[in-house]
Amino acid sequence: MRIIRMKLNDEQIEALVQENCTLLDFLRNQLGATGTKKGCEEGECGACTVLINGVPMNSCLMLAVEADGQEITTIEGIARNGELSPLQKAFIEKWGLQCGFCTPGMIMSATALLKENPSPTEFEIREAIAGNLCRCTGYAKIVEAISAAADAIKEA
Amino acid sequence: MSTERSENLKYYDGLRKIYKKPEDYEFVGKSYNRIDAEDKVTGRAKCTADIYLPGMLYGKLKRSPFAHAKIISIDTSRAEALPGVKCVITGKDFRGGKLGNPEAFKELADKESLCKDKVRFVGDEVAAVAAVDEETAIEAVELIDVVYEEFPCALDPVEAMKEDASVIHEPGTQNLSMLTTMQSGDCDKAFSEADYTDKHRYSTQMMVHAALEPHGAVATWENNEITIWTTTQGAHVSRFWIAHGLGIPQSQVRVIKPYLGGGFGGKLDVFPHELCACLMSMKTGRPVKIILDRKEVFYGTRTRHPMELEIETAFRKDGTMLAKRCRHVLDGGAYGGSGVAANVLSLIWATLPYKVANIDMMARRPYTNKPAAGAMRGYAASQVHFANEVHMDEVAEELGIDPVELRRINACVPGYEGPTGLQVTSCAFKETLDKAAEAIGWEERKNGLKRGEGIGFAGSGFVSGTGFPVLETPKYHSASTTVRLNREGYATIFTGANDIGQGSDTVMTMIVAEELGLKMDEVKIVQSDTTLTPFDSGSFGSRVTFLAGNAARRAVGDAKLSLLEVVAENWNCQPEDIVMKDHRVFKRGDSTNDISFSEAVWMYEEKHYGKSVVGVGSFAHDGDKEIYKKNRGNYAAAYSFSTGAASVEVDEETGCIDLSELVLAHDCGQPLNLRAVEGQVEGSVHMGLGFALFEECRFDETGKMLNPTFLDYRFPTALDMPRIRTITCGQPDEEGPFGAKEAGEGSTPPVAPAIVNAINRATGLKFHDLPITPEKVWRALKARKAAEAAGVQEGRNCGKP
Repeated sequence: MRIIRMKLNDEQIEALVQENCTLLDFLRNQLGATGTKKGCEEGECGACTVLINGVPMNSCLMLAVEADGQEITTIEGIARNGELSPLQKAFIEKWGLQCGFCTPGMIMSATALLKENPSPTEFEIREAIAGNLCRCTGYAKIVEAISAAADAIKEA
Repeated sequence: MSTERSENLKYYDGLRKIYKKPEDYEFVGKSYNRIDAEDKVTGRAKCTADIYLPGMLYGKLKRSPFAHAKIISIDTSRAEALPGVKCVITGKDFRGGKLGNPEAFKELADKESLCKDKVRFVGDEVAAVAAVDEETAIEAVELIDVVYEEFPCALDPVEAMKEDASVIHEPGTQNLSMLTTMQSGDCDKAFSEADYTDKHRYSTQMMVHAALEPHGAVATWENNEITIWTTTQGAHVSRFWIAHGLGIPQSQVRVIKPYLGGGFGGKLDVFPHELCACLMSMKTGRPVKIILDRKEVFYGTRTRHPMELEIETAFRKDGTMLAKRCRHVLDGGAYGGSGVAANVLSLIWATLPYKVANIDMMARRPYTNKPAAGAMRGYAASQVHFANEVHMDEVAEELGIDPVELRRINACVPGYEGPTGLQVTSCAFKETLDKAAEAIGWEERKNGLKRGEGIGFAGSGFVSGTGFPVLETPKYHSASTTVRLNREGYATIFTGANDIGQGSDTVMTMIVAEELGLKMDEVKIVQSDTTLTPFDSGSFGSRVTFLAGNAARRAVGDAKLSLLEVVAENWNCQPEDIVMKDHRVFKRGDSTNDISFSEAVWMYEEKHYGKSVVGVGSFAHDGDKEIYKKNRGNYAAAYSFSTGAASVEVDEETGCIDLSELVLAHDCGQPLNLRAVEGQVEGSVHMGLGFALFEECRFDETGKMLNPTFLDYRFPTALDMPRIRTITCGQPDEEGPFGAKEAGEGSTPPVAPAIVNAINRATGLKFHDLPITPEKVWRALKARKAAEAAGVQEGRNCGKP
């Protein structure tokens, strides 16, 4: 067991974790942050994507102890003061989701993309979410939602 | 077409007078948001794996490493001795019957909750453990000692049917789980009189559903009943089989479906992990959670039936199809489950979407020592329409008829009665052909296609809501709903319809809101909980919108009529004179009689001494329960039709296929929500594309799946998808809720054959075997080049490398 300290969704936290516990299991089992989903545990589906210092990472491939001292953002930290982010609003309005299991990971990857590239082309959007698998939507409305969110951010 | 509607369909006709008129629709046909969208974008939506209960134990399953073996002994003593282990069970702990699906085929139920005597595929379940944490459970599973005696395994479905094949279930059955034949007309005569006959073989591969959410369950024994939160597509059907497997009454089982992370047919059957979670909770008195890992989902749940199809057709030279013979072999895998229905379905689909009077068809579903095959989006239709639609293009070429025109000539039309008794009512198949051809620019482009360029078409017919209720029910009904109007200004719908991600909760909510003139968030939905909601068969056979939607509209209609009768009496008018809109209840064209929704409910309760305004509705199919045994009759209250059109470019150097565009024209009757329909079609294109071009489960010679991961079993990413254009066609269906028909499944089958027909046109080759990988294309092109160089005439069937 080890004590780790991290900034999780803007909140400083301290916790005792097992050395072999993944960041994903730590978030879900220990903190109850179940918005981050477990789809494959092998870094292939992207459902567990979180931001580590702003960079999208598969939390199933990372140990919780490796997150010590880092800044972590999960889907629970995307809305601010009860206000949904432009991406979240666009996913709702454009039907960028069906079953919703890939949605948190998609939104995390898209959040990182729009921060780095506020005007992505369609290809750049598709590239940014190529590591996030979706079996329901055919990605069409997800791409549309991310594009609409980029426009909304620019207009704001 | 028979114009006489049955007593069953007319039963609720008394409500039609107070149903909302099309000119007053506020939601139907427009786009509005999903009711669960905010939960899903914020991470608040809780799936089964997100449930954590106090004192909860974690379960794991012990699985067979052999494809076919006798169990000599199981020793659990070392596992039981491991600190932290609270329960270990084997097959002898279950007191109930074997698992299967549906109830009508209960005698075919062939799957033990845990295997007692033998195992039939790599991954078959032999024991289960519950421990204080997942790690301990995994360790304990390793400590269970099972001694096996290996049997030879049967992996190839055709080989499995031979006399000397290893017996998987019963001796003397040729390993068949189902054998179905259908005949009509005089096939031999039609063939002898035909101008042209054509015969080819086609094959499809094993594919998996790959829903992003793995299967899992959390069970707890409290108040002398088991409550299970589980990843199911049919809570009520699960209740039946769980009770059956545990050997307890259904009244002691409560099944709840939380948010479901995709199903596609893969979560239709009941699985051993669900039974084990229940039994171990009953034994320990603590909640037990079992979530399968991704590999277990791949090799331990369900697959799409690989099929081999031999199709022989007879045509007149004007393009009229006279007869069809077909022989299907469906690789059933180790067990039956819902997979037994695939056999008969495969023959029904062979009679759509084209008219054919003379048929001679047979389907066989042998067991093999592989994971059990089951229902998957476009159930059996994806395979059958692939073969028939590729066949259709070959016939068109031979007859010198345009492929779209050949389809038009033979297209099903309203009123058509199929050779096996299908009754087609609304049908806009020709419209889908025309619109797809127009959208892809067929007439302008067909004569100017360059080498390597191809356009392909394919049609499809599908049930819009199979009438089959799965469990035996009075009058063959398969969906019931209750609606209660609350004087506090809202309504509650209690529906058994299972939202598996497609958005049925949103549809049910909309239907109630539309009829009552409420906002969507003024309708609260209680769904998929066997204690709280009325019976529903589940999400399969494209039945939810049509059947559960009808039940919902009838239930809200029933409540609305009760309410309006009281209001009308007070206002001295008829219920049909009253409109419900914008939270108001008013007499049309009379501003003096205008009250709020709450006041109207108050008025009703005043008159009836506090009695609630409650409506009930149901939907029953006009079928009979012997339909799957007689193999004759009408399978659905309506049918959907669609056409796919694909535009591809094939790189002759590498064999790589670039699918640039896919148009899908779909007759879904009256769309209830345009965005939802598009979303369903786009998802269909995704699955059809994977089916056509690369998805495939591979096995070694011992029956072990070689690629049970998302890395090795590749399905389309955002970078693989073409431009998709969805075109909705058709007119409101007479019996559909607000005229709606299905959109989620019938749109899947035309995708793969449209792509394959485009590839065949681009390459001049004839691919008959899915998937069409770049390697397969490259090898076929290379072989042709070599053959041409050798001066040999090119081969016809280049599908197999």
